[in-house]
Amino acid sequence: MVAREKLNQLKAKFGPAIQRADLPNDFRLFVFVESGAVKDICQYLFRDLDARYVISIGADDRPFSGQFMVAHNFAFDREHLLASVLTYLPADHPKLDSITGAVPAANWAEREMRDLVGIEPVGHTYPKRLVLPDGWPDGVHPLRKDVPWDHVPAGFDAEREFRFDDPPEGCTVVPFGPFHPTLDEPAHFRLYLDGEVVRGCEYRGFMVHRGIEKLAESVLTYNDIPMMAERICGICGCVHNVCYAQAVESAVALRPPRRAEYLRTIMLEIERLHSHLLWVGLACHIVGFDTLFMQSFRIREPVMWIAEKITGNRKTYALCVIGGVRWDITPELKAELRQVLHKLEAEWQPVVTAVLKDKNIQKRTRGVGVADRKAVKEFALLGPVARAAGVDIDARRDHPYAAYDRMDFQVITESGCDVWSRVVVRAKEVFESIKIIRQCLEKMEPGPLQAEIKDELPVGRMGMSSVEAPRGESHHFVITGENNRPRRWRVRAPTYQNLQGVPAMIKDQQLADMTISLGSIDPCFSCTDRLETIDLKSGMTKAWSQEELLKLAKSKRS
Amino acid sequence: MNGNLLLMILGGLANVALVLLVAPFCEGLLRKVTARIQSRQGPPIWQPYYDLLKLLGKEDLESGESPLMQRFAVYLSLATVLTVACLIPMGFAAPMNQAGDAVLLIYLLTLAGVCTLLAGLAAGSTYSLLGISREMMAMIALEPLFAIAIVIGAVHTGSFRLDTVLNGSVYAAGVPWSGILMLAVMLLSFQAFVQRVPFDIAEAETEIMEGALMEYSGPKLALFKYAQMAKLVIYSALFVTLFVPWGNGLTFPLGWLLFWAKVFGLVLLVTLVAATHARYRIDQALRYFAGLLAVAVGALILASHGY
Repeated sequence: MVAREKLNQLKAKFGPAIQRADLPNDFRLFVFVESGAVKDICQYLFRDLDARYVISIGADDRPFSGQFMVAHNFAFDREHLLASVLTYLPADHPKLDSITGAVPAANWAEREMRDLVGIEPVGHTYPKRLVLPDGWPDGVHPLRKDVPWDHVPAGFDAEREFRFDDPPEGCTVVPFGPFHPTLDEPAHFRLYLDGEVVRGCEYRGFMVHRGIEKLAESVLTYNDIPMMAERICGICGCVHNVCYAQAVESAVALRPPRRAEYLRTIMLEIERLHSHLLWVGLACHIVGFDTLFMQSFRIREPVMWIAEKITGNRKTYALCVIGGVRWDITPELKAELRQVLHKLEAEWQPVVTAVLKDKNIQKRTRGVGVADRKAVKEFALLGPVARAAGVDIDARRDHPYAAYDRMDFQVITESGCDVWSRVVVRAKEVFESIKIIRQCLEKMEPGPLQAEIKDELPVGRMGMSSVEAPRGESHHFVITGENNRPRRWRVRAPTYQNLQGVPAMIKDQQLADMTISLGSIDPCFSCTDRLETIDLKSGMTKAWSQEELLKLAKSKRS
Repeated sequence: MNGNLLLMILGGLANVALVLLVAPFCEGLLRKVTARIQSRQGPPIWQPYYDLLKLLGKEDLESGESPLMQRFAVYLSLATVLTVACLIPMGFAAPMNQAGDAVLLIYLLTLAGVCTLLAGLAAGSTYSLLGISREMMAMIALEPLFAIAIVIGAVHTGSFRLDTVLNGSVYAAGVPWSGILMLAVMLLSFQAFVQRVPFDIAEAETEIMEGALMEYSGPKLALFKYAQMAKLVIYSALFVTLFVPWGNGLTFPLGWLLFWAKVFGLVLLVTLVAATHARYRIDQALRYFAGLLAVAVGALILASHGY
């Protein structure tokens, strides 16, 4: 009903601009619209209907329809609806009005679309290169279907450097990254400092692109991709694994068996447990409180062991296939998992009690890295960052998947909008995860692990899925295709949106607060660095070419 | 007189050797206890000795803006700390107490901080400059504290002679209010003098990557680390002689053992505080130091009125 209702609202407002619509069920809505009306429709959805911006997807559809395709995805969280506004663009003229002016959160997604698919967002407020390496020639767009996955374009210029914006007057420039003790992956923030106060910054990331989406669309098959998907992230890999499988299942209307749904829920929550415990540890390390860092890693370790016992691996669980899962939990493992949870709960409770009372930690985190409700809306911030600002969103409840519709749990929210609130949200979510796993163990019935798939999956269907990763909602969009692989697969990890909010969080703060503010979104740069085909150096090392560095690294010092 | 001079030099050398020997042990103790608090096994207690030896054996690289100044800063740093070692009692009476007075001691302690500034300037990177600007801010607020403690002793005894000042002289008034106040101030700021959490702000590995030290490696890093370890011992020894003098008068092995037991006790206290706190921000730390400074000045005024 909700999907139909939203469609009618759009039809009433925009009439003939709405060409057709697809309502596969009450939780999904695909609206195909005229390209000229996209901007107004998106503005209407985002501002008037108060939808949450999710992601924009550009796709090269020329081999199939002779056109380019663009989708802007939105979510109505309270109404449990994911909506996609789609439009087709002529092959010779792929241009579309930018929506970034109306929907600031679309900033990166539109630039990425321009870099990788070559769809020009006309009137973009900050049309700078985002994803492609600095030396990459203009006019070559790796996600187009006529570009092979291993293509190295002619005219790659390793000498070309990234041009940074001019710093504001009276500010010194402090480079933060690409390598810094608190960055676990390369990313570069160029900070503008006035004394010890950060006045602004420019971000340059996407340094270790692995071309995962391109590989999926050109080399891998449906059931290979989950393995690749979970390698997007070293911490919340299972999220991408499940989210991809669900997106395909939603596209072809396939439902996995109930036992598989429970198993997915259990593994996702085990992942959240280890991720939150890891984060609390790292956050403490950043503010110099190493004792709690060590303690939370000690408490976390049994979670890793039980994951290894269930799936054979501490991380990268290789859990999903399309239509089911690959691992089962035996009665012995069930008993052991219960013990692990019991011990974890007993050990985590005193830590949380101590942290919540600790004035010293509060001193470093209260009022730091502030992102209020407005920032959450504008940048479409997600997960604990949003919940710490009192924005009550959680994909597990809002867009139920796997077995979450049968689970009884609380969505933890706080109202401080700062790093401290994010600490509290994450610390408390650990208990909710424990609760969910216990319910799964209680309710799980024997049954098959995988749905039977008799025919080839239908072609040209679209599916989307949202999974609540430990750091926020992960969203996958899939168009099914020929040769046993999808035509287009777009991954939007939560860090992709949360990182866009960081410059606002660190503005006018002490430099010392920069690392904990960045850390508080639990950034996962690899989740954003998933797209490019070639990993070449950006202009960070000036005196050395990549070849020289490699030679240096391989040769022994004399 | 000649015999006296020889004795002085020998005593000074003995103190230097003692500090050099004991400093890595204190560091090892600190690491081991920290590890135990963190539920870790921890490195062997001798590990800092091995670390120093390893670093000393590495290639001596020249880097940063001014390699010459970098080298000078590290030599000066260790030399300053060891000179202080000659001036203060290490369980025995101070061997060279005629060679200088309390004012010299205050100067030398400040010089140790200046070495860090030189090191940061020599590196010339943005992070090292941030490190020294933090160090400088902290120094301006901190150094007066120790100076005031020493001057209170001098006011009570009416002498700047080291052997009178460095013998519990802060309590040398009828009811030693100023001494007790100062004891509290020094206890609350001690972590900052030895640059441990929550006041390791000038190095803050996770923010500014060790600040002034970022360009140091190999033997030079070893010497700087050695100087920092020695600083922990020196400051602890100073604290003990100034504020916990009881038992100093005992005969040789007893008084000497008691002195070192007090020093190790202080190192343990430093460890405990460091392991249970998060790092402060420089502005928070400065506000904290400013409060302490106000109390210290109050103590000085009390002392000058005979309390």
